[in-house]
Amino acid sequence: MAKGFFTDTTVCIGCKACEVACKQWNQLPDDGMVFTGMSYDNTGQLGGSTWRHVSFVERPVPVSGADTAGMAWLMMSDVCKHCQRAGCLENCPTGAILRTEFDTVYVQPDICNGCGYCVVGCPFGVIDRLKDDGRAWKCTLCYDRLKEDLEPACAKACPTDSIIFGEVEDLRGMARLRVEQLHERGVSEAYLYGEDAKSQPGTEGLNAFFLLTDKPEVYNLPPAPVVPTKKGGEAWRSAGLASLGLLIAAAGAVLGSRE
Amino acid sequence: MSWTDGRLIDERRGILEGEGSHQKIRQESDFPATPVPKTYAQVPGVDAADPTYYGQAVLKQPVWIWTIPTYLYIGGVAGASATLGAVAHAVDGRQLHKLVTRCRWTATAGALLSTACLLHDLGRPVRFLYMLRVFRPTSPMSVGSWVLTGFGGAAAGSAILAGPLGTFAGAVAGLLGMPLASYTSVLLSHTAVPLWQESRRTMPFLFIGSAISAAAAMLEFGRFSHREERVITVFAVAGSVMELAGVAALEREAGRVEQVIKPLREGATGALWTAAKILSATSLVLSLVPRKSRKVRVLSGVVGTLASLAIRFAIFHAGKRSAADPRATFHLQRADTHQNLTDGERN
Repeated sequence: MAKGFFTDTTVCIGCKACEVACKQWNQLPDDGMVFTGMSYDNTGQLGGSTWRHVSFVERPVPVSGADTAGMAWLMMSDVCKHCQRAGCLENCPTGAILRTEFDTVYVQPDICNGCGYCVVGCPFGVIDRLKDDGRAWKCTLCYDRLKEDLEPACAKACPTDSIIFGEVEDLRGMARLRVEQLHERGVSEAYLYGEDAKSQPGTEGLNAFFLLTDKPEVYNLPPAPVVPTKKGGEAWRSAGLASLGLLIAAAGAVLGSRE
Repeated sequence: MSWTDGRLIDERRGILEGEGSHQKIRQESDFPATPVPKTYAQVPGVDAADPTYYGQAVLKQPVWIWTIPTYLYIGGVAGASATLGAVAHAVDGRQLHKLVTRCRWTATAGALLSTACLLHDLGRPVRFLYMLRVFRPTSPMSVGSWVLTGFGGAAAGSAILAGPLGTFAGAVAGLLGMPLASYTSVLLSHTAVPLWQESRRTMPFLFIGSAISAAAAMLEFGRFSHREERVITVFAVAGSVMELAGVAALEREAGRVEQVIKPLREGATGALWTAAKILSATSLVLSLVPRKSRKVRVLSGVVGTLASLAIRFAIFHAGKRSAADPRATFHLQRADTHQNLTDGERN
């Protein structure tokens, strides 16, 4: 029973209720009240104490099927993707990051020793190590709420159901119907990002996937993320060969120096 | 009751047991000074062929500090020394006795310093031993922690113990020295950082070459017999040749996508990379000087050490820069997929 989010960006109104609900429920400290100048986005990015982030994209590109007077606004509530093949989890040397009974990826704060290897392992730039705290933090998919059979705070707070929580299998069906519906209405650019292993082989699918209407890059999402482990084999092979080089150099030096 | 606790929780009524409630409250002074924000008429370049989100990084920057590239260097010296020491002991142990002893002590000191470097970088140093809580083959850091632990024990044993026990410990350290000197490249490549990931096939050769030449450089500072000096010279030449070949191979591999290799070509990291190449070539020339005087040998040691350090720091900081550049990630992944099937539907 894999749990996850389907985030339909076409109905996001950029109210940031998800950001606030997440901060409140998880009792996360503020990250400084800054004005970034980037449209209504004053959070900037996901981070150690920011587990939901709404991005705002203002652009002079019309959306098909809508009268936008040449200007359209894209909004997307970003979150940890709880990947099927999670770079953070596979890189974690302590076992602090584990997969829960809900098929989500969870960091145990009492185990994490702050090595920072998950930070570089995540192809989405989600997880981060807090300087003052020393540990790595990210969205837990409200593990404490799931255990009580409650939906995560962000989904609960979302007024337009842009964030839908549920069984990943159900969400996929729902999302595919939604894309069809949008295509029928003329929003031909709508597509799903990372809904399964077929659409995103590098991560073998995301438990928190998205419906987008422009290139992933526009939303600051990587177009084809790959879990580092998938490319690790080539690195290990080279390392093995190179190690033999060390042995040969040592043998060569000792034998070659004989008179 | 002041509500400036950063959580807006009235402590008389609220209980702090949320998932993030362990996080420290940051004061106004902990935040970086708010710069005057840039204002944009629209997201810059959003309708361009390769858009970004306000030029913001898509990845998180590596949080590692200077001790990590220092460890890449020290671990290399320790590993290559142990392997040379083990081979020298097995082949010509009696003639090369001094060299073997020196190698074993270098390996032991290197293992200790490596541990200190890694410990210093941890966010929670007291939890260092948690590294040995599990063995996770998918994590090069887990593999490396176990290798370093075993290596440290074996190297110390080989330095302290006499007789067959010392020989056995030396052989184990020599065997573990090989992965210790090479796994650090996998540690970097096994990430989402575009430059490191993209140079995964060639970086091990560069790192091993650099480890060999750095270990030889460290040995140049000692006083040895003529036979032992020849061993060091051959080892140094082999290392420098491999190092220079590794540099060329890495530039070729990472140069497939222009945006990925940019930090090695431009700016401060590019300058450091160029300096590393010059140092490495100089080190090779110095190693090849026939019948070296003591002064030349010390100079060769200094240059070889600097070359290896420069290579590790250049790769490390260039990687940080490539992580900060969203286009490095985007261009690399677009080049990898080629198939713009879904794109065709989208646009």
